[in-house]
Amino acid sequence: MNERLKSLYQTVILQKSREDKYVGKLNDFSLEFRAYNPMCGDQFDLQILIEDNSFKCLKYSGSGCSISRASAAVLCEHLQGVELDTVRQKVELFLELVDADSDKQPEELTDDENLLAFAAAREFPERKTCADLSWKELLNQLDTLNQS
Amino acid sequence: MDIDQVKSQFPIFRQKTPTGKDLIYLDNAATSQKPQSVIDAITNYYSKEYSTVGRGAYWPANVNTVKINQVRSKVKNFLNAQSEKEIVFTAGATDGINKIARSFLAPKLKSGDVIMISQVEHHANLIPWQELCKAYGTELLVIPVLESGHLDYEWIKQNLSERVKLLALSACSNVLGIKNDIKRITTMAEVTQTPVLVDAAQVLSHNRVDVQEWNCDFLVFSAHKMFGPTGVGVVYGKQSLFNEMKPFNYGGGIVKEVTFEASNYQDIPHKHEAGTPNIAGVLGLGAAIEFIKQLSQNETDTHLEELTNYALSSLKAINGLKIMGGEQDKAPVISFTIDGIHPHDISTFLNEEGICVRAGHHCAQPLLQRFEVPASVRVSFAIYNTKSDIDKLVMALLKTQAFFS
Repeated sequence: MNERLKSLYQTVILQKSREDKYVGKLNDFSLEFRAYNPMCGDQFDLQILIEDNSFKCLKYSGSGCSISRASAAVLCEHLQGVELDTVRQKVELFLELVDADSDKQPEELTDDENLLAFAAAREFPERKTCADLSWKELLNQLDTLNQS
Repeated sequence: MDIDQVKSQFPIFRQKTPTGKDLIYLDNAATSQKPQSVIDAITNYYSKEYSTVGRGAYWPANVNTVKINQVRSKVKNFLNAQSEKEIVFTAGATDGINKIARSFLAPKLKSGDVIMISQVEHHANLIPWQELCKAYGTELLVIPVLESGHLDYEWIKQNLSERVKLLALSACSNVLGIKNDIKRITTMAEVTQTPVLVDAAQVLSHNRVDVQEWNCDFLVFSAHKMFGPTGVGVVYGKQSLFNEMKPFNYGGGIVKEVTFEASNYQDIPHKHEAGTPNIAGVLGLGAAIEFIKQLSQNETDTHLEELTNYALSSLKAINGLKIMGGEQDKAPVISFTIDGIHPHDISTFLNEEGICVRAGHHCAQPLLQRFEVPASVRVSFAIYNTKSDIDKLVMALLKTQAFFS
């Protein structure tokens, strides 16, 4: 396997894509949305319970490639317990991390290895939509929340 | 047939991919590569003989007008149509279907009418009819597809009635690769006098089509799936239907007399070709037909059949690989899934090996829902593919599987 592929399919991505810790449905949730990529059919339903002004609990279900699954899992993990005020900042950081047009190196943005694993999407523009699918939809949801 | 010689006519195969591999192009159902003759026809037009057509009495307009007429004649012969009047150039199969929907069917639809399509249709042969149904209160009836990938012909027989104002279906599923029995369907439709539109986009690179034998009323195709350029295609229509229809578009090039009060239109096919046509595209289509004609049809059939059978047996040997649909009436199109590996991941791994396949729903979401598959990998062959391409595909799939296991 070549180095490019190794960088995209790092152990952390493969592990996270198989992990079922955040897979499932919540009985009680404050926010529910679907992240869907019509170009490839990847589809995830995300549920978030908001309590005490923070993301208390997150789950996802659905189907997609290993990158989009791992990305949904890391979203749930990374945002668990995060205060509402800082969610947007974290989502925007992730989106910049996978954005090849960013003028910042991934390591300048974070030292979290679970997040950095997705920076390889910069080298695979056709896979960027897999890496940022759930995150972009969450950003849309945050915009809607702000407006309402 | 000397496949190396045929392949050498396609300049794209002379270079390496960005990962330094030979290009193995297995996405021919989406679009096929272009031989030098097609590229030359287009560059020659732009660099040496550029002009409009049908409107200028000067060189090179005269040259191009003659050439466009020659291409129309080539298409007529290629489809075995009765007359050049039955050949209208469009922007492609999608454009053709939309034009028939708008100019032929819409003006005669009323509430309670039915449009019949099939479960295997590409979105291009589904959504235009769905939109008509929404606008006119018409019902969309969908022919079920069996597990084998064949249509349920008994169902068609039972559900065809005089209420069905059009039956629109593809000659071959772009996902399953199963060819439909068009002759059988038009024979059934004749009883209820239901016009039949055939989406032939998927078959013309590997099958000869005879519109008289099929007895279809309309047929559409795109040049780019049969070695020609993008943005150009054809609608074939029976003369009586083309005559009775309103023009596809309104504008210049289709008129006899125009006043502010009224306009009247030229005879078919020109009545349906408003505006300056895609001249380079049409010339490229002509070159593509010439390219196909210089190949022996029998040898093309044999080569593609052997490749498809070889691919089926090689792929089936892979553990956990499931092929969608059966193997009878199979065009060189194979869709499959592999347990535990998403098609997109497969596609990325294959791309590193220089192998181009399609991963996703192939613009046929309802069909994938029918087979309860969110996405599949599709490989599809053309005349320049070889058994060695398939061996490399299988090797790369095994490597991918090893990585994800």
